[in-house]
Amino acid sequence: MVITINQCQTDKMSSKTSFEIKQGIKVHVIHTDLYKTNLICVMLTLPLMKETVTKNALLPFMLRRGTKNFSDQYVINQELEDMYGASFDCGVDKIGDNQVLKFYIDTINNEYTFSKENILKKSVELILDIVFNPIMENGLFKEEFLNIEKENLKQVIESKIDAKDAYAFNNCITAMYGEEGFGLYKYGYIEDIDAITAEDLTEHYNKLIQNCKIDILLSGNFYQDEIVSIFERNENVKQLRPRIENYILNNEFTEKKQKVDNVQVIEEKMDVSQGKLVIGMDVLSNMENLQATALVYNAILGDGANSLLFQNVREKESLAYTAKSSFIKQKLNIFIRCGIQVENYDKAVEVIKKQLENIKAGNFTEEQIKNAKAYLISGIKAVEEEQDTEVVFYIGQEISKTDISFEEYIQKIENVSKAEIMELAKHIEINTIYFLRD
Amino acid sequence: MQIIENNKIKEKVYTEKLNNGLMVMVIPKKVRKKYIIWGTKFGSIDNKFVLSGESTPTVVPDGIAHYLEHKMFEQENGRNSLDVLSSLGVNANAYTTNNHTAYLFECTDCFYEALDEFMNYIQNPYFTDENVEKERGIIGQEIMMYEDYPDWALYMNAIKCMYHKNEVSIDVAGTKETIAEINKEKLYKIYRAFYRPDNMVMIIAGNFEPEEIIEEIKKRMKMTESQQTVKRIYENEPETIVSKKIERQMDISMPCFIVGYKDNDLESNKVKKSIAIDIIGNIILGRSARLFQKLYEKGKILSEPSWNYEFAETYAHVLIQGQTNYVDDVIAEISFEVERVKKEGIKEEDFQRIKKKIYGEMVKDYNEVATIANGFVANYVRGINSFDYFEEFESIHKTYVEKVLRDVLQEEKKVISVIKPNTNIMASKNK
Repeated sequence: MVITINQCQTDKMSSKTSFEIKQGIKVHVIHTDLYKTNLICVMLTLPLMKETVTKNALLPFMLRRGTKNFSDQYVINQELEDMYGASFDCGVDKIGDNQVLKFYIDTINNEYTFSKENILKKSVELILDIVFNPIMENGLFKEEFLNIEKENLKQVIESKIDAKDAYAFNNCITAMYGEEGFGLYKYGYIEDIDAITAEDLTEHYNKLIQNCKIDILLSGNFYQDEIVSIFERNENVKQLRPRIENYILNNEFTEKKQKVDNVQVIEEKMDVSQGKLVIGMDVLSNMENLQATALVYNAILGDGANSLLFQNVREKESLAYTAKSSFIKQKLNIFIRCGIQVENYDKAVEVIKKQLENIKAGNFTEEQIKNAKAYLISGIKAVEEEQDTEVVFYIGQEISKTDISFEEYIQKIENVSKAEIMELAKHIEINTIYFLRD
Repeated sequence: MQIIENNKIKEKVYTEKLNNGLMVMVIPKKVRKKYIIWGTKFGSIDNKFVLSGESTPTVVPDGIAHYLEHKMFEQENGRNSLDVLSSLGVNANAYTTNNHTAYLFECTDCFYEALDEFMNYIQNPYFTDENVEKERGIIGQEIMMYEDYPDWALYMNAIKCMYHKNEVSIDVAGTKETIAEINKEKLYKIYRAFYRPDNMVMIIAGNFEPEEIIEEIKKRMKMTESQQTVKRIYENEPETIVSKKIERQMDISMPCFIVGYKDNDLESNKVKKSIAIDIIGNIILGRSARLFQKLYEKGKILSEPSWNYEFAETYAHVLIQGQTNYVDDVIAEISFEVERVKKEGIKEEDFQRIKKKIYGEMVKDYNEVATIANGFVANYVRGINSFDYFEEFESIHKTYVEKVLRDVLQEEKKVISVIKPNTNIMASKNK
């Protein structure tokens, strides 16, 4: 097999090149000499649907169990240990309305091994083997593995109550979106697990692997040519067919929201010391430069030590230790999250609403805008200095089909004006107030 | 200036002791990020001490080191240094542990502007009744946040099982009751006692010329050599454990446990010992271990329990932490496997493979300026240079590891902490 490189993008700052090895299967090579490690990720992107979310979530658990070349996970683990403690992990992410099955392997660079071994090649081959060449018995996933992994997935789903703040956040999202798309839990649902058979799951996997969007990201001190030659010779890659990517594009042009008639107020009880307050808001605007404006708005509101939430809810009123907000760009939502004393619920909601009004009324200074921008820009600059963050950044760009350089991104943030922030503020509405308390 | 070089990971550290006694270390790295951390050897365990010129010991409320850390950012001009640093676009923070407190920032631009503010606030505390009072509510919420973390409750309980009097059992943040006793006079007193240059260390990592950055530090250094000395008083800890087991309930999905082994031998080489314990953890219950395979295939564990050798100058222990629906079985199996390996020894082939794994993990720790610098601080306050791990690694033999296994993982020094799910049913309603 010979790979013809269709260069999609060359970004000078981070020297990233992307090429399609077959239709719907892309390889992204991020050349960098900042780290002593290589990071390799395989991402399978699938639309989030109630019928398939649980089955999809089960796949990483099954795939890590063994391949046709490494018969079980203990053999894989020995191999990883022998590769200087290469770490392999897999999991499930939610990006907008998509479920992303992710597999990654992190090794030291060849130059730090005792005798300059080529562990880059070894690790690429191993991860491709895990994702695309699972061990089968009579053409099916092994029953004994499946039974254990079904139980493991149940436990993972049940464990969502353990981290109370994340639990509250998830519940708020589900309250806003219901059990579809972005509202689904990324690991699926316990009641759907028992019915999954080895036949079902094998059929599902075989279909999925020939149809889903596949992205393979590699970051480290190596060049495209080295990678291309590994892929060209790889048997697992040869088996993959070209495909028309089936996933859901979420960005500022695809998301259309309507103002809710009544704000939902939800209270749930649990054995907690501290109440966890989550306020979900909709960004109901299609103004120009929306992403950057919403980021600056969010930074003024609740991202960083100079933000209104930190300064007022925490520093001025001493109501909380954590008081912050985040902007979910794929779904155009802003979520406010605070840990507060249960009795202070009304007071906290009042103080938070006051901050939202303040931004609308323009009660914030040029200094605050400058601070917010400085905070965001330093965050963008740091992306290229953290291997995993950079990989996550590029997968986000890939899925939302945005293709802007770090410089353009910074420029867009610099360009946001006070008038634009006030204009956007008029179109930000509370959708749901969720409170987890004792 | 002294230069220590590590050829394996191709890194160098430049060290210089300033005239006032402050140790400064520079780790040059060709990256855009710049990082500085200034730490003091003062943490939650330092609650009793005698100051020079005083005859009676001073006893301070639990959580005061952490409270001081929060209050350091307050400035006389009414501004908060955390806000000032944030508005420069730098990422500033601070933290308190059992044995040290540290202030830090990381940035790509504006390093020297931020350095002005950073060195200024740490050298100029400003406490008033009002600003000290304001923090009580915030720290109160921080304490409550930790109360909801099952891992924290699990850890504190394990420590309480192991130690009768040792200060490690004091919660870093204190309690709502103890922080109620903190006032500005007490904060000034501990600041003067422990924020002395000879009790501190500063680490700078990033794209720097060592001589140049040390000159810049000197320019901004106002602290003079301290005349005061402090004698810390720690309780004498008996060798025995307090109780074998502690259990409580929380709203969690699956029971979690810690098996702890108290290590009374505080004089031994702890760097070497910590590597040995890392190897033992992998041999007994790592992802390729026989026991891991057995427990996993029976559905008794989902991921490998973590092994950690936690140590300071005044305490040391091993903590094995995991999650399972079969707590008693899993803990019994671990003890059984520990005894089996003690008797049968470690296989040479496994030993070599795990050593390779640990070496790789040590290399990975030198990826990012923050990880590197934080590691240097945590080690410095324990009298260790981070590069020592590579030196000791070379000298680790299988027989040594087997000896550590026999000496440290002793049944009579073992404690168990368990948290089980609540049995009541969760209620939920709409408001």
